[in-house]
Amino acid sequence: MNMIATTTANLLPARLQMAFTLGFHIVLACLGVGMPVLMLAAEWRFLKTGDELWRTLARRWSKAFAVLFAVGAVTGTVLSFELGLLWPEFIGRWGAVIGLPFTLEGFAFFLEAIFAGIYLYGWDRLPKHVHWMTGLPVAISGFLSAFFVVTANSWMNNPTGFRLVDGKLVDVEPIRAMFNVGTGAQTTHMLVAAYLVTGFCVASFYAVRIAKGSGHEYDRRALTLSLLLALPFAPVQAFVGDWSAKVVAKSQPIKLAAMEGLFETQRRAPLHIGGIPDLAARKLNYAIAIPGGLSWLAYGDINAEVKGLNEFPAIDTPPVAVVHFAFQIMVGIGTFMMCVALWCGIVYCKTRAWPRSRFFLWSIVALGPLSILAMETGWVVTEVGRQPWIVHGYMRTTEAVTQAPGVWNLFCATLAIYLVIGVGTVAVLRQLARLPLPEQKHGA
Amino acid sequence: MGPDDLLLIVMLSALTVYALLGGADFGAGVWEFITVLRASDKERQHIYKAIGPVWEANHVWLIFVLVILMNGFPLAFAALSRALWLPLLMALCGIVFRGASFAFRSYGQESYRERKLWEAVFAIASTATPLFLGASAGAVASGKLAITVTGFYEADYLSGWLSPLAVFSGFYMIGLCAFLAAVYLFREADQANDMELVELWRQRSLLTGIGMGGGALGGLILVWLEAPSLTGGFAARGWPLIILSIGCGIGSLIEVWRFRSKRAVGAATGAVAAVIWGWGISQYPAIIPPVITSDVAKAPDNVLWIMLAVILTGAALLLPALGYLFVLFKSRP
Repeated sequence: MNMIATTTANLLPARLQMAFTLGFHIVLACLGVGMPVLMLAAEWRFLKTGDELWRTLARRWSKAFAVLFAVGAVTGTVLSFELGLLWPEFIGRWGAVIGLPFTLEGFAFFLEAIFAGIYLYGWDRLPKHVHWMTGLPVAISGFLSAFFVVTANSWMNNPTGFRLVDGKLVDVEPIRAMFNVGTGAQTTHMLVAAYLVTGFCVASFYAVRIAKGSGHEYDRRALTLSLLLALPFAPVQAFVGDWSAKVVAKSQPIKLAAMEGLFETQRRAPLHIGGIPDLAARKLNYAIAIPGGLSWLAYGDINAEVKGLNEFPAIDTPPVAVVHFAFQIMVGIGTFMMCVALWCGIVYCKTRAWPRSRFFLWSIVALGPLSILAMETGWVVTEVGRQPWIVHGYMRTTEAVTQAPGVWNLFCATLAIYLVIGVGTVAVLRQLARLPLPEQKHGA
Repeated sequence: MGPDDLLLIVMLSALTVYALLGGADFGAGVWEFITVLRASDKERQHIYKAIGPVWEANHVWLIFVLVILMNGFPLAFAALSRALWLPLLMALCGIVFRGASFAFRSYGQESYRERKLWEAVFAIASTATPLFLGASAGAVASGKLAITVTGFYEADYLSGWLSPLAVFSGFYMIGLCAFLAAVYLFREADQANDMELVELWRQRSLLTGIGMGGGALGGLILVWLEAPSLTGGFAARGWPLIILSIGCGIGSLIEVWRFRSKRAVGAATGAVAAVIWGWGISQYPAIIPPVITSDVAKAPDNVLWIMLAVILTGAALLLPALGYLFVLFKSRP
């Protein structure tokens, strides 16, 4: 009896702890995946043109990457410990099935750390082409790390690769578990998001400097490179997101219903824009409904039947409002991103330059934080939408949570510690940004 | 020898490398702590230069041990997480602050005061982390963690890792890190031909080396008093490694004394590695003695074989890269 009481009491702080530490780490993880691409691109330009300014840019970015990677490495360590510390029953029971991606990720992270060390400390030690090449494994293993970790999450949403006989695991197939029905869409969605977040965050930073009046070639080049990373991915993400939603419709219909705030099972289900779910009345208020839109997006047929929340027992329903709002925010930002991308793309193709208006600069400035918000709300949809399950259909989150004391204290302490780390990181990045730039030669 | 045994060997090897390389990195911070940050700028530069390129790679060995345990012996991972909840959280806190402060210190362009602050954080965190990791290891070695065969923990959250042996292990680990750092930095100063630093680290190596030797004796007595199962394992299987460790320890002191830095590093490495293997072999097949053995905790064999294949392939990529890193930054002054 006592045990059950502890378990339930720990659920909320443990989930908050996991959500917060993951939410914090994932920003660093995205930048860790994307920044190497940017610094390699800048260094590549230096190798091609011999222009020292490109090298300065690559070197500055590599310093920022070094700080972000170091903080990301330790906050990632926190997460790997937390899997056991907060959810011992989850790992104890399912570790054999889903540990493999973590082992693989261990190797990818290892390679990344080795080559990050070589790249960051090798600027003056290695021939310049060799130095550029030592950066390649950093970018590749960052990509792979993210891929492996997300396969594990995808498995939690779509568990497969095992059988349960009398409560015992048999026929465990870790590779099938890794490549479950959600893997393709979810990993692609995340990786594209990582490049979007990096591109827009970096672009946002330089857009602020340009908006404040910096006409330095350095800032313009940095903006161009980062936009060239981010903008092409914006429309891509729309298609990947659609793919992701189709997978969810098939494998987790209840999550789709929560995302859309759809209560009644219906044919020709509408696509809802906005709206506030009323759980008591079991309906969505104030939403703009596009008839048949959801049926079409989920199944490619405007007359397809989409299951509503009423179809499922209340005990299996995720928190509808959170999931619905988060989904709306993500889609809204994604749409804005795509519009900006199309506009910039057209202007850039026509004039070989970015739009000159203030509105363009401020949109880019806004898209930095907005891209992070979109990515975080996307994770809220995935993770909160999976509740009350930790392994969808097989283990409830309440069954997995630790029975240790003091989880609330832990959460408060973590907030304080991460605040210090966060402030420290931003402070160091700002100091790096204030380093004086080389004199401009042509007064452009 | 089944796949679980092979995996245990891999895990113990990774743990050994972490203790050696990660330990030396922590040890450098321990020296900052012991000397209350009074080190000269030159001394500190020497330390930071030694750690800079390699600490993250060295840190990953811990992650590596962790994921193998999680994947190959999930029940043991869950049981450790439950029983050592508090010391592991404290160690994590140390890991976060050590890594972050080192990065901030290395890349920040801040004022003198801010830099001093991060240096202090680095020193404290570098000392606290081995303390808690060592205490956790000692708690496991004591064989007294009240873990059931299903991996549940049935005791309060303090007694397990506050036993005399566990507390001793915590402090011993700090000393061990300091010793390793001193010998390794002695070697690096020797390579750089900096006589002032050579003398400093030589003295420190000797000092901590003698301390560790005396401590080891105390540790063996504690093991004998507190951990009868481990004592039995030592007597049955582990003793040659314990003797090897003592021999290497004495050897390392002699080599330090004689200014032979390369051999000193070899001997010190051997001394620490032999202790870890002696421990592992003595408590085999237990992972967390007494009840969590390899048989109880292991994943199905096919999973273990896949892991071994992954590890073999991964090692083929990783080890040359790691060698390149160390050749690049450690073989040239």
